[in-house]
Amino acid sequence: MAHGKKNRNVGIIGIGQTKHSSHREDVNQPEMMHEAIAAALKDAGLTMKDIDCIVHGNMELFEMIHQPDLWHTLGTGAGGKDCFRITTGGTVGITIGCAADNLVASGMYDIVMAIGFEKLQEGHTTGGITNMADPLWFRNLQTGALTGSKAYDLIYEFGEERAKKVSMTYRIIMDKHAALNSNAHRSFGLDFAQADDLIKNSPKLVGDLKLIEMCSQSDGACAVIFACEKKAKELSKKPVWVRDHITVHREEVFNIFGYDDKYPARQTQRFAAENLYARNGIKKPLEYFDVFEMYDPASWWGVDWLRDFFLLKGDEAVKLVEDREIMIGGKMPVNPSGGVIASNPIGATALLRVAEAALQVRGDAGAHQIPKPVNHALASGFGGTMWTVLMMLEKELNWQEA
Amino acid sequence: MAEYWGVTVDDIFDTMQERFRPEGAAGVDAVFGYDIAGAGKWKLTVKDGAMKLEKAKDLAGCVASMVSDSETFVGVNMGKVDATSAFTGGKIKVEGDLGAFGKTGKLFRKYAPPKKEMSVKDYLADMFGTVVSRFKADATEGVDYIYGFDLGGKDGGKWTVFIKDQKCRLVTGIDCKTSVTLEFGEAKDYVDMILGKIDANSLLAAGRGAAIGDINIALKWGLYFEKYVDPMATGEPEQELLMLKKTISVNQAFVTGPIMGKFLNALKEKKIITNRCPKCGRMHFPAREVCAECRVRAEEWVEVGPKGQVRYMEYVYYSFPDPLTGESRETPYGMIMVLLDGCKGNDIFMHLIRSDQIDRIQGGRNEKSGTRVRPVWNEHRVGSIFDIKYFEIDE
Repeated sequence: MAHGKKNRNVGIIGIGQTKHSSHREDVNQPEMMHEAIAAALKDAGLTMKDIDCIVHGNMELFEMIHQPDLWHTLGTGAGGKDCFRITTGGTVGITIGCAADNLVASGMYDIVMAIGFEKLQEGHTTGGITNMADPLWFRNLQTGALTGSKAYDLIYEFGEERAKKVSMTYRIIMDKHAALNSNAHRSFGLDFAQADDLIKNSPKLVGDLKLIEMCSQSDGACAVIFACEKKAKELSKKPVWVRDHITVHREEVFNIFGYDDKYPARQTQRFAAENLYARNGIKKPLEYFDVFEMYDPASWWGVDWLRDFFLLKGDEAVKLVEDREIMIGGKMPVNPSGGVIASNPIGATALLRVAEAALQVRGDAGAHQIPKPVNHALASGFGGTMWTVLMMLEKELNWQEA
Repeated sequence: MAEYWGVTVDDIFDTMQERFRPEGAAGVDAVFGYDIAGAGKWKLTVKDGAMKLEKAKDLAGCVASMVSDSETFVGVNMGKVDATSAFTGGKIKVEGDLGAFGKTGKLFRKYAPPKKEMSVKDYLADMFGTVVSRFKADATEGVDYIYGFDLGGKDGGKWTVFIKDQKCRLVTGIDCKTSVTLEFGEAKDYVDMILGKIDANSLLAAGRGAAIGDINIALKWGLYFEKYVDPMATGEPEQELLMLKKTISVNQAFVTGPIMGKFLNALKEKKIITNRCPKCGRMHFPAREVCAECRVRAEEWVEVGPKGQVRYMEYVYYSFPDPLTGESRETPYGMIMVLLDGCKGNDIFMHLIRSDQIDRIQGGRNEKSGTRVRPVWNEHRVGSIFDIKYFEIDE
């Protein structure tokens, strides 16, 4: 894959987010976005005057507001500034992060703010997703964002008892992490002792995907400010450096369900990870990274994608979860924030992965800060028909070109 | 019976009849169960737009039953507990047909607790009883104040509130020197002021209330404590918040292009055709201009199926609202990935399976075949995916 070297380094110097909630009837869309933007500016010690350009993103079909950046100009502070609107589905949050990084790295702007949001209560999520499907064919058939296929796969591979248990263990770990994050939408106070009861009693959505295992639908916003190396060093005591990012798409048909080993279907998660690590000279990602903020739409995917993102084999990823090594304090803490299962304002969700990973690098995550130094962090986004984005963050500007 | 937010489980059930909405029961003919721990079991029979509720020993014969504890049940009915969270977190369970139970949501008007009058004495007890829980510790860094309240009249009393080290303590009586003491001749005036019925300045100007000590400290009270919420209030928001409801209905028309057109037109003739990639041999469903993997034109047309084998089925329990019609889809149903005869690998064709056959479907893997299926065609065909009604088991 052709990939150019960055023209100049880019650091994250401001991070802001709202409290994520099932309902924000107290504010309209621009007001809610402004909460995240005001927090990011305060975090960076800047004002809107310092921002050269804004990248605005969400999934407009969810609220059915086309070109929402027009309505949101007052809330985003984009008046009189360059503003780009991007929408790429579930990945949009991290895509606006990648775009902001590219805009600064190119030299066109010194300081760019990415703002992602969603108010899922104001529209119709399944309706929105249905309207993204090929209208000639698949729109009539598809079932929103729910699939039981990953549960089916893991049960086949690891047996029913072990697979169901590991998925629920992952889910409970996310709940425990969310309890430490005051911005998280939901935490039920689940305990490991409840696993068997939840496996038995949580209602099924599709196949063996249960309600408790699926991500939430949230209202919320996240803003992240990116600056060139010179400005980042001048303005911030603790800039977090964007080392690299990769985006992998695939065609929109779901031709991945043949279940024939002779015809493997391309997994964008593993494909993205392999290419990103190869060009950065990372041989053992599980040892290299200190924390991972993953876009995990459901606990089944969370478990399985650990294998892809860390290039693991067999049941290595399953064991990581079973041994609770993905908890805060474990070998590879995953989603100290509680992840997507806890909070999912979709257009902000993937940017929150970047924001939370950067907070970990800075040591500013508060109650959900992991207890060891964080020098290298990984964030992922997921959406579309199995699209993947990965971003690598660094504490120091000392990495070697591969 | 235990009260939650002043309401018992019986209060909810006793008012079901008067809250019943016959218009919400149209087409519902079912018996629903309620198993409320610590309160009992109830059977609700709905038929012909009427309802009958009875206490029950067991819930046999119910199409679906809700299982919950008393507090959660009352909380959900009162709007104090978020129903979705309670359900997701396992505090409410539904045994039986979840989709059917969803229909109970339209059967009743919302429960509203009967209005009780609160006396001045009740209000004072509630206002001072909630002082500590309304305290905003984060806002009181470095604050060291003592507030006195001296309220006269037959229901009055004296209270002292200490703020120090970001902690709040309430005692009855005033036994020390305060930073400021609010004195009111009639406790009712104080209550009305807090409830926003009388303006504080009018009371002070009329000499019915006074702040003895540092009045600036008195004015800071609002920084340190959440606003008192009247438990008797109707829940009307104080700010001018409205929720504007909109429904978008848009007519759309999409052209197929020649490739999809050829594919869809063949369905009219009860034929499933597609184009094969000249490089990798893959066949697309639906037919497409190019192979996305090899990026070459796929111009060779072949007829496949129409029979095939199921490789995977999505067993859907969740009742999706169909965005194309607004109706909830009947559940459970199965969406199948069929490998039509003549196809290989991941050349799967997605469609629905006859709904009474979903429990008999097996997915194939590698050389092992899944359940054999065949399409059931509509009599009237227009060149659409639903020219095939669904697939059924080929037996």
